[in-house]
Amino acid sequence: MLETRGLSKRFGAVHVTRDVSLRLQRGERRVILGPNGAGKTTLFNQLVGETRPDAGQILLAGEDVTGLTVQARARRGLSRSYQRNTLFDGLTVEENLGLAAAVAHGHWHSIRHDSLTRHDVRDTVREVAEQLRLMPHLHARVGDVSYGVRRQLEVAVALATRPLVLLMDEPTSGVGPEMSRGFHDLLNDLPRDLTLLIIEHDMDLAFAVADSITVLNHGEVVFDGSPEDARGSRLLKDIYLGHWADA
Amino acid sequence: MFRHTALRFWTLGLVAAAAVLRVLTAEYFGLELVAEIAILAILVIALDMVAGFGGMVSLCHGALMGAGAYGYAMLTVKAGLAPPAAFAGAVAITGAAAWAIGAVCGRSQGIYFIMATLAFGQMAYSIVFEQPAFGGDDGMSGVPRIDLSLIGVDLNDPRSFAFFCLLLLGGVYWFATHVLQAGLGRTLTGIMHNEQRMRALGVNVWRIKADMFGLSGMIAAVAGALAAQHVMFVSPGLLNWTVSGEALVVVILGGLGTIIGPVIGAIAFVMLKHEISAHTDYWHLFVGVILIAVVMSRANGIFGWVEQRLSRARKVTAGDAIDAQGRTDAAGTRARDDA
Repeated sequence: MLETRGLSKRFGAVHVTRDVSLRLQRGERRVILGPNGAGKTTLFNQLVGETRPDAGQILLAGEDVTGLTVQARARRGLSRSYQRNTLFDGLTVEENLGLAAAVAHGHWHSIRHDSLTRHDVRDTVREVAEQLRLMPHLHARVGDVSYGVRRQLEVAVALATRPLVLLMDEPTSGVGPEMSRGFHDLLNDLPRDLTLLIIEHDMDLAFAVADSITVLNHGEVVFDGSPEDARGSRLLKDIYLGHWADA
Repeated sequence: MFRHTALRFWTLGLVAAAAVLRVLTAEYFGLELVAEIAILAILVIALDMVAGFGGMVSLCHGALMGAGAYGYAMLTVKAGLAPPAAFAGAVAITGAAAWAIGAVCGRSQGIYFIMATLAFGQMAYSIVFEQPAFGGDDGMSGVPRIDLSLIGVDLNDPRSFAFFCLLLLGGVYWFATHVLQAGLGRTLTGIMHNEQRMRALGVNVWRIKADMFGLSGMIAAVAGALAAQHVMFVSPGLLNWTVSGEALVVVILGGLGTIIGPVIGAIAFVMLKHEISAHTDYWHLFVGVILIAVVMSRANGIFGWVEQRLSRARKVTAGDAIDAQGRTDAAGTRARDDA
């Protein structure tokens, strides 16, 4: 469903990603681990088109999307959520989801109909709000809801575009352990045919959700395998897991 | 997001009723004022669509209005087109020009967007000013009004013309609010709130900006074509950046991003101008002081101030009701405990 071939990016003398090759099957849930500065977010930025790679290819459902713009990739089914909330703060939760759903259903450019009142848009908004447990907050302004709810909405907005592949950059960033556990269930409840690529520091969430794990270090893929293999990997313990693995 | 609140409906109804009453009862000067207000209101609605809902603060809307006026004048006086066809032609040509300006300037933001639109506006001004085909500094006279004699209306009659302007203002208001509540308007509002996220959702940002700027330019052209018919004359001054600046002042005075607010602003601005200029040439000074007061009040213009006050009053009333309910519950509990 999503493939990268030899993806490389340099900022000056620093190789932020070096020859990164990944292959995600349809419905696969892969977690990317790595210490700070490993190049995880830069990899995401290249995948969605916010950063141009110096070399390599990105294929989405077999199509080379390397030269496409952010919006063109998004319309082909590549959606992302951000590490820091990038929501529409002045609008309600429902309107936030509606804007994304309107894009998915092709109503974002109409001058005839209210995109937010279209049946297909409303259905998608309701469905995604139920999936991400946002129904009680639907009519609240984003600025008025808690941080945890905003993190859920951040993912929900990306999901409302009906993506083939959903990239999530630290979905539990800044939330407490309780909320983080709630996220396990949320992610496990997502449709099984949706391909997920998740950057995560929360090990419990990573191992609870992942079908496969990729570890980046200094921009290079240093591990690619199952969660079980990751747990037993000496290399991972050395470069990333440290005391957590010994616990 | 544009929302039709009860207050906006009521305000619209009141303004419409007052305007119709004024047209029915006013003499010549009063009718001229109504036409002037209606034309300015159309222009500021056009500006509010892009500035209030897309963050595109334009300093070329005066030029777009001027393009509409010159387009209409050229097509009727020079090309000999029938006024309705010239009207439609002027609106279409200006809309296309506005779309192109929006497509170019839409790639920039903030102060750069403002400067880019100013540059386009001043280019249009200098072309019209320098080219003899447009009448140069002298402008063009003899611009005809649309002939509606087929339906028994003589637009050369000031009362009929004022009604005609109000009718078009009503149509423009409906169109603008309809577009802002449609997919295009919603998406533009999303872009204003978070352009990066809208792009990540799959929205072609510059296309949305260009399309809305084009529609806004068409509305500005309606104002221009009406202005040309109103005074039956066009001059380069119509395209000057000061017209755009004045329109921006009116939008801020009335309430940015409310559509009805700029209409109120247009009424206030024209009335102030005429009342104060009867006593002094320094009327701009007074308008400036009022504008500073409005901006310093932190309310969103005159209409925003009213909305804010009513919202606070509602919250206080709701709070009182909750307190009263709380007191009733507490009294009931005490009574049960006593029993």
